[in-house]
Amino acid sequence: MTIAPNKPYFEDLTVGMALPTVKYGPMDRFDYIPIALILRDTNPLHLDRVYAQERGLPDTVQQGPLNQAYLYEFFTNWLHKPWDLASTEIRFAANVFPEDILHCGGEIEGLEIGEEYDIVHCRLWQKNDEGVNILTGKASGRLPKPPK
Amino acid sequence: MPVDRKTLIGKVLRTARYRVSVEDVQDFVSVMPKSSEATEEAPEVAPPTFAPLVAVLGLLRTFDWSTDFQFDYRDGTAMFGEQFIDFHRPLYVDEEVEINAMINDVYEKSGRQKFDVVQLAFEIKGDRDGQLVMTGKQSYILFK
Repeated sequence: MTIAPNKPYFEDLTVGMALPTVKYGPMDRFDYIPIALILRDTNPLHLDRVYAQERGLPDTVQQGPLNQAYLYEFFTNWLHKPWDLASTEIRFAANVFPEDILHCGGEIEGLEIGEEYDIVHCRLWQKNDEGVNILTGKASGRLPKPPK
Repeated sequence: MPVDRKTLIGKVLRTARYRVSVEDVQDFVSVMPKSSEATEEAPEVAPPTFAPLVAVLGLLRTFDWSTDFQFDYRDGTAMFGEQFIDFHRPLYVDEEVEINAMINDVYEKSGRQKFDVVQLAFEIKGDRDGQLVMTGKQSYILFK
């Protein structure tokens, strides 16, 4: 499968190209504290290892929006500018735990020509080291017109 | 007695507000692998990676699990389901966003357990210009 270049223009892309995969991590349990404070969500499942283990989980659970933020980071870094992000569809499939590595990737599903800018539609995924899907979904981004 | 949450379809939830504070954005950026390009280029713009947190925490302020979803959080299990977001403009640091939501669908599904999917349709406007920042849908899975 052909790998799409970073910061691409419409002309650089074809349907079926893979987005360059990016690896993040290992995840750090101490990152869950600021996220809990921002979300105003002090659910012990995210902060208390013993509480999580008593409920059958291996460790504290990383907050879903943080997993999502890594997938957004992956996709928006690929675009020319972060706010070229146009839309996302995300499905939460599995939990992330401390020390997990997140692998983010995707594939181009569609391309549209526009007047001001072009649009790329991609299928995205985030998996852990075991290949288990954490997040699956789609995202669309605006592609600037190439300089003349 | 089983709860019939289909009667909740159409319910307009309370308006919520959240200020995109410098502190929250800085705390968030410190967690991410590198400082966002958005923040480097224009410090008044929050990174788009922060947007899902705003949607999630904003929506959680629009409803009460018990009175709006007829769900007892103490002995029930809830999870995030699917989320759809359209981005209309960047999110600015220090602007206050207003979150409005309604319950636009409820349906029952079965896996190992039966559960209800409650889907909210939402819009988030910023007070910088009164314009839409995000619109979308967020589902919550409520196990029975």
